[in-house]
Amino acid sequence: MNTISEFISYPFIQRALLASIMVGILCPFVGGFVVLRKMSFFSNAISHSAFAGIALGALLGIDFSVSSLALAVLIAFFIAYISEKTTLSPDTVIGIAFSAVIASGMLVMGMLKGYRTDLFAFLFGDILAVSRTDLLLIFITGVLTFAIILSFFKPLMQITFNRDIARVEGINVRFFEYLLFLVIALVVTVSLKIVGIILVTSLLIVPAAAAKNIASSMGRLFSLSCIFGITSGIVGLMGSVYLNTASGPTIVLVSIGIFFLTMLKPAYR
Amino acid sequence: MNALSVENLCVKVNSRHLVENITFSVEEGRIIAIIGPNGAGKTTLVKAILGLVPSTGSISMFGIPFINKNSHIRIGYVPQRIEFDRTFPLTVSELVGFTVPPMLSFPFFKSRQEKEYIESLLETVGVQDLADRSIGTLSGGELQRVIIAKAIVNNPKILFLDEPASGVDIEGQERFYDLISRLNKEKGLTIILISHDLNVVYRFADNVLCMNRKLICSGKPEEALTDEVIKSVYGEMMGAYIHSCHEHD
Repeated sequence: MNTISEFISYPFIQRALLASIMVGILCPFVGGFVVLRKMSFFSNAISHSAFAGIALGALLGIDFSVSSLALAVLIAFFIAYISEKTTLSPDTVIGIAFSAVIASGMLVMGMLKGYRTDLFAFLFGDILAVSRTDLLLIFITGVLTFAIILSFFKPLMQITFNRDIARVEGINVRFFEYLLFLVIALVVTVSLKIVGIILVTSLLIVPAAAAKNIASSMGRLFSLSCIFGITSGIVGLMGSVYLNTASGPTIVLVSIGIFFLTMLKPAYR
Repeated sequence: MNALSVENLCVKVNSRHLVENITFSVEEGRIIAIIGPNGAGKTTLVKAILGLVPSTGSISMFGIPFINKNSHIRIGYVPQRIEFDRTFPLTVSELVGFTVPPMLSFPFFKSRQEKEYIESLLETVGVQDLADRSIGTLSGGELQRVIIAKAIVNNPKILFLDEPASGVDIEGQERFYDLISRLNKEKGLTIILISHDLNVVYRFADNVLCMNRKLICSGKPEEALTDEVIKSVYGEMMGAYIHSCHEHD
């Protein structure tokens, strides 16, 4: 059996490791807001709209990153706008958007000629096929995301706690909500190649939910989310290489394991 | 100077008036209580003034028209019920700290100045021992005090309180209204207070505004709240109760 140092000497493993660390920090960091705002279903709809975007990109000959991001942002804003303008609950609006993107994605897939394996790679993710360009894209997105979230952490936290109080205190609630949705769409889109459309939501939610189980403060919630995300990424990737299993699902299962471990410890108050 | 002037304020939902043609003004530094039966539109009135629900009519604060929250007037608001996830991992000092300017700052490391300011705010409202407690573990009275601390972070000129002591025990209510009275006297805060408790109105409010969708009466509590007004708004039983309150005073 190969040793860890032998595995790490392979460039594709190095890239995969770097990708899992970056996404392992990025997804749970944004996931903190997703969990606190109870937006799990929203992030699921966004990842599936990225799927429709990829299918549309394949049909129109547009770069997948561009088409998936464009549709993810469009759907995120659509959900925010319709929830605001109608009396429908956000849950219902997300359900409608979710159905629409799945149906559209499947319809467009049916219009494509031949069997497109490249599209299915997005469905399940392929961390071992991550390129230098992908790494650069994740890195830039990460820097941008951290800059936005950390700069606007206070207003984002205020609108998460209570929208009415935030509005009275002069915070532009609509602007910050749209900004948060934009960031979630961005993070989901760049993470697709790592764990795939089906599992990307898990990486957003599970480490943050595990952190919420044991965190007593907001600072701890976000730092523990990132620690659990990185641990899941590294252990999951190395485990998948050793056990010859699919990397994305192994990473997610490690994070689920961490979640159950945190369930053993009651929250400190 | 008037801290708040409201003219012909109306809130309509599906052609039904929730608030109809309300006109009143509040002098700076006063405590005004808004009273009325359940469903009278008190919360809606306050929300309309704050721009949280659509309304017609005109509102000005400290002489400046208050339109779409663009007037940069510092306002504090304590809603009737603060609905939040009790498992929200947020400490008292973090919650108050999120309101402390500058808004664009690194959130997890507070400067000494910021820490001291948060401590002084918590001390003002008497919850300095709760700084590191999770907000989900606070009692109703403690939480209301923390929300007051959060509401006064930016030194507001006017504070809106929507039934702030509902669900708080008698002792907690006493301490709460003493705090409100102290903030009014020490900081010169204008306070708009919704209350169901007429005892509180008589003890703490300079003026009262009685409404049941429309304005019924306004003025000093002893003058405006006549037996007829109380009976017409709350019924015969409350009229007798108020009478006994007066006798005790």
